[in-house]
Amino acid sequence: MNTIDCRDMACPLPVVTVRRALAEAAGKPLRVLVDDGPPRENVSRYCVNHGHTVTEERLDSGYALVIAGVAAETAASVSPTGPTVLLVTSDRLGDGPEELGRLLMKNFLMTLLDMTEVPDRLFFVNTGVLLATEGSELVEALVQLGNRGTEVSSCGICLDFFNRRDKLRAGTVTNMFTIAETLLTAGSVVRL
Amino acid sequence: MVKEGDCVAIFNSIHRVMQAEKLLKGRHLPILLIPAPRALTAECGLAIRYAPDARELVEDALRAEGLMPEEVYAKNGEEYVKIG
Repeated sequence: MNTIDCRDMACPLPVVTVRRALAEAAGKPLRVLVDDGPPRENVSRYCVNHGHTVTEERLDSGYALVIAGVAAETAASVSPTGPTVLLVTSDRLGDGPEELGRLLMKNFLMTLLDMTEVPDRLFFVNTGVLLATEGSELVEALVQLGNRGTEVSSCGICLDFFNRRDKLRAGTVTNMFTIAETLLTAGSVVRL
Repeated sequence: MVKEGDCVAIFNSIHRVMQAEKLLKGRHLPILLIPAPRALTAECGLAIRYAPDARELVEDALRAEGLMPEEVYAKNGEEYVKIG
């Protein structure tokens, strides 16, 4: 059984790492080492929500979680054709009054937290990156989405354009190669 | 988005909730406009969240401007208890 060590990783990295490892494991069980507290809780919750059974074993430092594989047909019913990707190209949702657009975007992204299935990837480009930076009221929601298994990434060019790279407060910086590759291999893309 | 003990104010009007948000933010009060929790019905689908220790300041400010919410709830476990 493969073991991956997610100790000393800051949230949401443990969930993101486990999600990738489970996809690569293709139904085989996986042993994951995590710190106690939010990393352990977030990884366990993500796995249980995706149909896995999790067995915990206490270690001298942290916990070992043995994550049972999911049968191919079950996994397929969760994600039939590939990851679900949300591409957020603006800090507003829709055309119309700016104030309303900002409110709707905020409301939409927070509402994702109430969904049973959260998106696999969330990319911010253009003014969308401002939503993940210091001062945005969405930082709390984006961190929570990360803990639920959504990989949140912002376009590095866009962060540089707005001089906000050092103000990123949720998710990581990504590049156009990763964005393009992910969009072209996604099961579904939702553009906002 | 709502933690144990947090207050959730329901306005039942998109214009009133937006006015309330603008007023409270202008006074630097620690509030957040959030989607109304599913357990609560709100015609506009939006609500304002604040911590219990900010309740007096928030509601005094709203009252002074004639923007009192229709209802105020507190999160208690999995439920919301009406407190105003």
